[in-house]
Amino acid sequence: MLTVACPKSIPTPSYFVAKTKPDYPVALSYDTLKPSLGATDLYGRPLQQSLSWRSGDRMRIVQSLFAATVMWVLAASVSAEIKPPLAAEQVSVNPLPPRGPHWVYIFDEALNNEIDSRVILFDADSYRTLGQIDSGYWANIALSPDGKTTAVVTTYWSRGSRGLRTDLIELTDNTTLSVRDEIVLQPKRLQGPITAFNAGFSPDQALIYVANLTPASSITPVDLRQKIVLPEIDTDGCVLAIVTGPRQVSSLCESGRLLSVNLDDAGHETARVLSEPFFDIDKDPIFVQGAQHGAQLWFVSFLGDLYGVNLTTGKAAFDTVWSLVSAGLRGQWRPGGTQMIAVQPHTQRLYVAMHKGGEGSHKIGGSEVWAFDLQTHRRVGRFSIPAKLGAVGALQVSTDADPRLYVATDRSNFLVLDPVSGRILHVEPKIAQSPWYLFNP
Amino acid sequence: MTQRSRFDGWLEVATRGIAQRTSRRSFLAKLGMVMTGVTALPLLPVRRGALAGVAEANETKGVDDPNACEYWKYCAIDGFLCACCGGTSSSCPPGTTPSPITWIGTCQNPSDGRDYIVSYNDCCGKTSCGNCFCNRNERERPLYRLSLNNDANWCMANDNPNYHCSVSAILGVAEK
Repeated sequence: MLTVACPKSIPTPSYFVAKTKPDYPVALSYDTLKPSLGATDLYGRPLQQSLSWRSGDRMRIVQSLFAATVMWVLAASVSAEIKPPLAAEQVSVNPLPPRGPHWVYIFDEALNNEIDSRVILFDADSYRTLGQIDSGYWANIALSPDGKTTAVVTTYWSRGSRGLRTDLIELTDNTTLSVRDEIVLQPKRLQGPITAFNAGFSPDQALIYVANLTPASSITPVDLRQKIVLPEIDTDGCVLAIVTGPRQVSSLCESGRLLSVNLDDAGHETARVLSEPFFDIDKDPIFVQGAQHGAQLWFVSFLGDLYGVNLTTGKAAFDTVWSLVSAGLRGQWRPGGTQMIAVQPHTQRLYVAMHKGGEGSHKIGGSEVWAFDLQTHRRVGRFSIPAKLGAVGALQVSTDADPRLYVATDRSNFLVLDPVSGRILHVEPKIAQSPWYLFNP
Repeated sequence: MTQRSRFDGWLEVATRGIAQRTSRRSFLAKLGMVMTGVTALPLLPVRRGALAGVAEANETKGVDDPNACEYWKYCAIDGFLCACCGGTSSSCPPGTTPSPITWIGTCQNPSDGRDYIVSYNDCCGKTSCGNCFCNRNERERPLYRLSLNNDANWCMANDNPNYHCSVSAILGVAEK
């Protein structure tokens, strides 16, 4: 049994005492704790010198502390006797929950270590990170129309950043986040700004189109059923692979035109059409980061004009161009960022990251998100993002009937907003190093 | 005994005034807020994205400093400044390889008032330098105008297309 006497002097740990007594006294008392005459500390100094603080108020404080410690130890030992021990755990893999309507994929360019980019899957209902898809060096990403597969078009080297280069498509099963297949490509894929048009599935998910840039531009169709690379499409200097029909892929050209190429089921080119110029590349170029739903495309220009392009008939038809910015503010407020527009298909709302700035500010993120009705062309919302959260670098909106608006800022905050009121529902800090692109089914 | 100075007298008046106006608890609360703020400062989010307009290079330096994003030759650069990575404003760091293909910008040198055509080459073969990120976009244009675009990986045609950092080299004076 442990008997404890409250000391009138400071108890001396046993290692202070010359080894004339056992290291672990069976019963502690003032006598056994009292320093032995002539004992020395670890440095050989007389203990009386190192204990010069024993007296007065300090003594009472120490006594109180000692008593409190004893009480705590006793209480802890009593409670430990009452609570049953924790059960042993077995390490396992947490399965993904069923897909939710507000799952969003966040592409992290990992700018400071670009051979290690990745995609983070986040649930904007539970506000939890669900998992990660690795995406190698400066990747291009495409989500299948049914949302079940993520295609990562990327590059690896056999020795990290050097050695044998392999370009390939990795197909990840979005129900497990495991890579289920891969198809090796020629080493010529586009390494450029991340957009929705760097790679894309055909609507029937039989093909993936991969944009190339060496700097010669082309498109490589890949047959996913046979896992073979089909003949390359020369795009005559036009860039990107915008999937615009069942067997049609389009590109943006330096002349301000849209090139559309049709294929047969074997992947051979059957026709190509070059549109009339639909924007002025000198006075007001359009961003390559556009939005798409089905055969309808939207692009926004540096000065804030909206260009709608419809390819339902297989041939590009251009909507009337309209400005997001009033005449008085034109040139002062501009779109900008790495993904500056998104469209909600049910509500027909357009969301644009806007900032105050002049020529050369087109990559500055938005201090505000502006919401527009695509039918009436009226601005229906103006959502200010607190500066402490950063500027809007990338934005996206979910496609369900009860949508959420997503924002990734240049301070790596990920925001979930109500797309009607603009109210910030959640802030997830440090979501990624370089969250430049958001996508969802 | 040393005679009290005027400063001591002023300090006494000031501290007695504070003591009369505030309680010890409110003082401690305010002190705690200040200390919490000071402690939290290093934890504030640090910009890491590649959006333009904010330079991670030393912003106290100016248009004549090759280590600063404001350096005049960098008016359309997008990437890590090689001058901060073991190179200079126009030379690549040891062990890397300059890209043979480039994008072009026109920048005005404030010291002589001339417009210069500059080529922005990437230095390739090692992974990201990660130092002195700088993104300026004067007259920069989207990917379909490739020669004026700084988003593409200009190491794309190198044997090893790993992007490391970017330099800016004068090609000549722009004709008016």
